[in-house]
Formats: sequence, structure tokens, C-alpha cells
Amino acid sequence: MDELTHLPQITIELLGLNLVFNTETITMTWIVMGIMIVFGFLATRNISLVPNPFQVVGELIVGAFWGLTKDALDEEMARKYFPLICTLFLFLLIGNWLGTFPHLGEPTKDLNTPLGLGILGFVIAHYSGIRAKGFKAYAKEYFEPIFLMAPLNVIGEIAKVVSISFRLYGNIMGGAIIVLVVSHLVYSLILPPFLLAFFNLFIGTIQAFVFTMLTLVYISVQVK
Amino acid sequence: MIDTATFASASYYVGGGLAIGFGAIGAALGEGYTAGLASEALSQKPESAGEVVKNMLVGQAIAESAAIFALVVAIVLLFSQPEVVTPLTAWSAIGAGLAMGLSAIGSGLGSGMPGGAACRGLVRQPGNRGRIQTTMLIGSAVAQTPAIFGMVTAFLLIFLDFSSIPAYPGWAAMLGAGLGTGLAAIGSGVGNGFTAEEAVDGITRNPEAAKDTTRLMLIGMSVGQSTTIYGFLVSLLLIFFGFAEDTSLSAAMKLLGAGLSSGFGGIGPGIGLGLVAAGAVKWVARNQETTGVLTRTMLVGMAVTESTSIYALIVSLLLIVVF
Repeated sequence: MDELTHLPQITIELLGLNLVFNTETITMTWIVMGIMIVFGFLATRNISLVPNPFQVVGELIVGAFWGLTKDALDEEMARKYFPLICTLFLFLLIGNWLGTFPHLGEPTKDLNTPLGLGILGFVIAHYSGIRAKGFKAYAKEYFEPIFLMAPLNVIGEIAKVVSISFRLYGNIMGGAIIVLVVSHLVYSLILPPFLLAFFNLFIGTIQAFVFTMLTLVYISVQVK
Repeated sequence: MIDTATFASASYYVGGGLAIGFGAIGAALGEGYTAGLASEALSQKPESAGEVVKNMLVGQAIAESAAIFALVVAIVLLFSQPEVVTPLTAWSAIGAGLAMGLSAIGSGLGSGMPGGAACRGLVRQPGNRGRIQTTMLIGSAVAQTPAIFGMVTAFLLIFLDFSSIPAYPGWAAMLGAGLGTGLAAIGSGVGNGFTAEEAVDGITRNPEAAKDTTRLMLIGMSVGQSTTIYGFLVSLLLIFFGFAEDTSLSAAMKLLGAGLSSGFGGIGPGIGLGLVAAGAVKWVARNQETTGVLTRTMLVGMAVTESTSIYALIVSLLLIVVF
């Protein structure tokens, strides 16, 4: 059961700071990015009225998310935030599916990935809130309904980052642990593929969608 | 007077018993709820027995998976007892049993609810079978998430290497970690059940709104799990924070208190969040045009409902970090 607690790390000392890199997470993240770039290239290489298979899949995903973004924000805003939302979903989807293949692991299994993406969404949501409403109106919301609530409202906002990141991390990590433990118990016979299909493909898809939708809704709550 | 070795190996059996003992409660209730609604549905339309019974069995099987998680943890606890059992691993075995067992209560009950609603829906709208069953499957599966968080905590408590952690107050941290996630997950599991049941009912009534309803259900259920996640956060802190050795009782009790605070504090808000989301999902299914405003209202309502669990989280963090 060493796999559970062992994280391959390299530590680099720079300007008196210890920078720790989780090598597996970084490698897997780069693999996901590579897959996305190759997919994007194949889908848009020769766009035609009679699409190639990659173009069809690309159009389906992009079309669906364009609709969702347009519903949550208005048309003009949606144009601005759509690339972020769609990329976020594709990254998380491929990331969560990656663990299905032997020798590969989900980058989202490491808390740092979801937490980084969660903070990204948080900063973007609040920045666009300030941009859309002006700083005064934005700050005023923290003193609703009475000014005594201000600390609580601030903590509530920070708790959103915690919950969105730990939700993804806990689900993916949980799936990985269950697959590992059950495979160990049944000597890797019969059960593991079904468990992988459920936890990586099904739960992975749902959690990627939920993370993306929550980021979108948090932005839309801020700008309206 | 029993010696340490006997106490330590007994604790693994106690942990296993707690895991499956508590874990069986919720699944049994949830499955009973599904079967009850299936009977009610069949009394209205006996000729669709085949369809409804099949659906009932699928729904019950998913509700049962919470109890199966608990069974896996119980079996691991019974058979994975290490050669050298220290008081610390003994207490973490009990903590693992509590985390898994308690968290399976809510999920078992919650994931039985959409199954019952789907049986009722199949009788009212037989033509709509595909959509009803898909929503039921997604709803039940997502309602298992609190139990998955409980299981992650349980496995961390079982398999991590605690040799570098001082036994005092480490034992209380491990017990508190188990209680933190386990208790908090009860509320979210039940709340998720309310949301998913309302979504299945709504899609039965208005299949046109299936997309919006499913989407809002997913958002509502996942935000409804926030309280479990706060419990999980406290558990992770308790496991990994690294406390200095201190044999006084107060040092141990504050860690146990941190687990209890976020655990009990999560039960009520978890159910409340489920009710907020259930209301939003219900009305989106009736009036699709209001999706945007209902989503925002739901999130604002949830933020306020959640505040009591955030108080509990703050108290836990204070107990762990400051005192």
C-alpha cells in the first residue's frame, strides 16, 4: 500500500527557498496538455462542412458549453469567459480519465492541482465582479445584510475555494484508493476494470462538469 | 486489567464492527424506502410490475453500495492487523471504523430516495423511462460521494504510517479525524437524497426540462456536500498536522473536540442544503424560464444555510491551530 502515501518529489534550492516539485503530477499535467493540443490540432486541421471525427467531437463539446455559458452569463460576457470554461472542462475531463490507463495517474489526485484551479476560478470571479460592478458596489456586498456579517461573508467566500477543490480531490483520490484497495483484495481479478469505469469515467466526468459549472456560476453570481 | 496488545488487537475488531454496524443502517433504510414507493406505485398500476421491480432492484443495488464500502473497510480492518500494534494504530482503527460507518448512514439513506421516486415516476410516465432512470442513476451515484469521503478518511487512517507521530495526543487526533468526516457526511448524504428525489419527480412531470433539472441537481448536490468537505478538511488536518507530544488530557480533548465540532456541525446544514437544492430543482422542472434566477437564489440561500457549518469549521480550526 506504499502507492497511497508515496509522492515522487524533487526539491530544488533556489535563492534560499526550497521548491518542491511533485514529478508525477507535473508529468501527468503535461501529458493532459499534450493530448489537448493534439486534439485541438486534429479537430481544426481542415474544418469542412463534412467534418472529420475529431471535428464532430470538438463541435459537440464546444457547442454544448457555449450554450451553458450563454445561459449563465449574457452573450457579450459569455464570449469573454467561454474559452476559460471550455478549457477547464476539457482539462479536468482528460485529467480524470487519464488514470484509467496503466502507468498513468490522474493529475487531479494531487490536491495542488484542484486547489490551483480553484484559486484561479476564485480570482477570476472576484476580479470580474469588481470590473463589472465597480469596487464600491462589490465591497458593499460584504456588508449585507448588516455590517457585522462582513467577516463571515469573507470566510464564506474562502470556504467556496476550499469546498470546490476538496470536492474534486476527494472524489478522484477516493476512486483511486478504492480501485487500489479492492484490486489488492481480489488479486486484480475481474472487478478492477468495472471499478475504473465507474470511478474514473463516470464519477470523473460528473466531477469535471461540476467543477466547471461551479466556476461558471461563481463568476455569474459575481458579475450580476 | 487487559494488556496493551490485547486492547490493540481488540480495537481492530471493534473498528470493523463499527464500520459495518453503522454502515448497514442507512442502506437498509434507503432500500426500504425504495421498495415502499415501488409497492405504492404498483398498487396503482399492477401491469407494469416487470419494469418497476427491475428499476427497484437497480435503485436498491446502488443504495447498497454505501454498505458495501463499509463491508470492504470492515474486512480490511479485520484482516489487515499489523504485526506490531501500538495504541496509536489501535485508535486509528476505531477512527477508521467510525468514519466509514457513520458516513455510510447518510449516503445509504440518501441514495435510496431517487430510486423510490423513479419507481413512482415509471408508473406515471412509462414513456419517459430512459430519462427517469438516467437521472436516478446519476442522483444515486452522486449521493454516494459523502460515503466516499468517509472511506478515503478510513483508508488513510488504516494505511498511513504513524510511527513518527507521538501517541499522546495522536490517539485523539485519529479518533477525531474519524468522527469529523463520519458525522458530517450523515447530513450531506440525506440532503443529497432529497435533492435527487425532487429532480427525478420533476423530470417525470416535465421531461422537456430534463437538461436544466439534471444540471441544477448536480450543482445543488455538490454544493450540498460542502459540509462533508469541511469535515474532511478537518480530518486531514488532524491526521497530517503533526502535534507535539503532550500527555495532558486537555491536549487530547481539544483534538477530539475539533473532530466533534466539524462533525456534528455538519449534520444540520447538510440536510438544510439538500432542502434548498430540492426546492430549486422542483421549481426549475415546473418553470424552465426561471433557471437563471433560481440558480443564483439557490446559491445565495445555500451560502446562508451553510454558515452554521462554517462556524463549526472555524471552531475546529481554532482548536487545532491556535489552542
